[in-house]
Amino acid sequence: MSASKVNRRELMRRAAILGVSVPAMSALLAAEAGAQATPAGTVAAAPTGDPIRIGASVSTTGTNGRTGLYQQEAYLLWEAQKNASGGLLGRPVEMVLYDDQSDPTTGARLYERLITEDQVDLVMGPYASGVTQAVAQITERYGYPLLVAGASANSIWESGFRAIFGVYSVAGDYFKDIITTIAPAQDYKTAAVIYEDAVFPMSTGQGAVTTLQDQGIEVVLEESYPQKATDVSSVLTKIRDLDPDMLIGGSYLPDSVLIVRQAKELGLNPRLYAFSVGAAQPDFVETLGADANYVLGPSMWEPEIETEGNADFMAAYQQMWDRDPDYHSATGYAGCQILERAVTNVGELDLEALAEALSSLTMNTILPGEYRVDETGKQIGHIPLTVQWQDGQKIIVAPEDQQTGELNLPTPPWDERS
Amino acid sequence: MDIVQVVISGILLGGVYTLFATGLNLIFGVMKIINLGHGELMMLGAYITFFLSTSAGVNPLVSIPVAAIAMAVLGWILQFALVERVVNQPAINSLLLTFGLSTLMMGVALNLWTSNFRSVIYEPLTGSWTILTISFSRSRLVAFFIAILVTGGMWLFLKRSTFGKSIRATSQHPQVAQLCGIDVRQVRFATFALGSAMAAVSGSLIAMIFTVSPEMGRMFIGKGFAIIVLGGLGSFAGAFLGALILGVSETLTAFFTNTQIAEGVAYLILLLVLVVRPSGLFGKAEE
Repeated sequence: MSASKVNRRELMRRAAILGVSVPAMSALLAAEAGAQATPAGTVAAAPTGDPIRIGASVSTTGTNGRTGLYQQEAYLLWEAQKNASGGLLGRPVEMVLYDDQSDPTTGARLYERLITEDQVDLVMGPYASGVTQAVAQITERYGYPLLVAGASANSIWESGFRAIFGVYSVAGDYFKDIITTIAPAQDYKTAAVIYEDAVFPMSTGQGAVTTLQDQGIEVVLEESYPQKATDVSSVLTKIRDLDPDMLIGGSYLPDSVLIVRQAKELGLNPRLYAFSVGAAQPDFVETLGADANYVLGPSMWEPEIETEGNADFMAAYQQMWDRDPDYHSATGYAGCQILERAVTNVGELDLEALAEALSSLTMNTILPGEYRVDETGKQIGHIPLTVQWQDGQKIIVAPEDQQTGELNLPTPPWDERS
Repeated sequence: MDIVQVVISGILLGGVYTLFATGLNLIFGVMKIINLGHGELMMLGAYITFFLSTSAGVNPLVSIPVAAIAMAVLGWILQFALVERVVNQPAINSLLLTFGLSTLMMGVALNLWTSNFRSVIYEPLTGSWTILTISFSRSRLVAFFIAILVTGGMWLFLKRSTFGKSIRATSQHPQVAQLCGIDVRQVRFATFALGSAMAAVSGSLIAMIFTVSPEMGRMFIGKGFAIIVLGGLGSFAGAFLGALILGVSETLTAFFTNTQIAEGVAYLILLLVLVVRPSGLFGKAEE
């Protein structure tokens, strides 16, 4: 009893300090984002009371620093928008953010600190699968529901956690659309799957193998390669002999680039190339030029898609950060949208009730598909887009309602390309 | 035919390793220092090629000497300001220093250029030339010849020129070299500059073959070390041959088992050499 009293007093003290800073900050941000976020003619009531404090650590330095920054910017955009449009439950919102330096152990420590020392009301997810896996142990122990806005490794939802909710498709489903829709339509019967030996790309590769087998497509070769591989010519030589219809790579950007380059060098000619991450990134075409054409890849979100609020999100993001969001911004923002809806539906900051709400909620976000999770908290409503490079342009070829162009297959052999 | 292809791929891969490893070994030979920052000097060379070709439109092949000269200057400065202080000191000092330099250069690069992966697109060098169904990767073949040219030139320089002989003399016996009137301090400066330039050239070539990122040096330093142990510490020809052996062993292992196991070959070789022939293929046994 006395412990909780101390905590409450401590909270009051913090709130008093913040009481000075938060309105001042929201006013500033409101001036910037307000015009954008508040529809003309309506004046949102200024949020009052103690701020709702939402903690998160995001990698903004270290290996994943650049990507993590996008997610953090999305969190801050949402915070600014909420404070400019009446807050959450009528109270201001304050994001309490740390940098985990792309390190899982640091991430776990920071969430422990957010919950026990900073005593935040709610938490949002960190960036990248490794950190999320470590952090989930902590949030689960303290009963804080966690929206996983920056990770998708299947293993996160295979640990029996109760309140870890996915925002976008798990890694194992990245190639689902390509394998179950595109491959049958092209009558592809064989596939080779290679993947990098790391949590996330391996999940995408192994998920592809399972889906291929379910689909009755023969997996002629499945092989992993080490992280930071500099040569995959041997495995590609083996694949060349097997001549599969599809070459699927569970890969990041550098290895996706390496595979395409060496495939060209060795004259390996599958009818379809697909890579889990690299293919959707603009850097892919910048590093490969015309050789990027025909390559397929899943994408969690694209700037031009017509989902609820996406255009507004794009505009507000560009205005606040002076650059275009990437899909990590979008998943981060979608995570905030989901949290917001759950809190609004529950009407109070009861962690138990929130977890309950998040597990049964179905809603639209700026991501394609909808938010819906299964009993493990794994995301099942989100529909990844499938993109293809055509003449240096990234075209959305599936699903049908988001298409920006027609699928262009089969991939011509290298020596028949201009 | 596949086997021939795999061996060719391995030799070409080895070509990528040679420049890196011979530069590393040159520095070791003269100063008995393992330069853990060698990978980062390579990385900087790669960035020079990247920026010159993408921002200034310089032909990537032309950017190679620019990168080499720039890194030679940086190498000279590093030697003058820092490395010179740990020569003839316990190995731990130079390891700590060069590891620090490695981390520093990587950190600066991460900060300046982000961890983005970049690459130089040079159309004429994508794809391959095919001879009797064997594919010769254009970029790797060109890199291979440039590597041979540079290492061969360096070898001749060491063998024939007076200064090259000073370097070898210093490498073999610094005290005697000094007694013979060789300015060993100057030799050390020049060696570190030359080694850095070779790292830069390998980086420029890798920029055309692979991707450039601040962390790329770390991919190569471990293998570079295995190669010079295999070839013989301090032996120029040994590093060259060691690189080719490693390249071919890797691709053959990857072909018969998988790429995952192949990645460990370098370290397996390292272990075997240390047990069976610690002086390496071309090294001289210590007294």
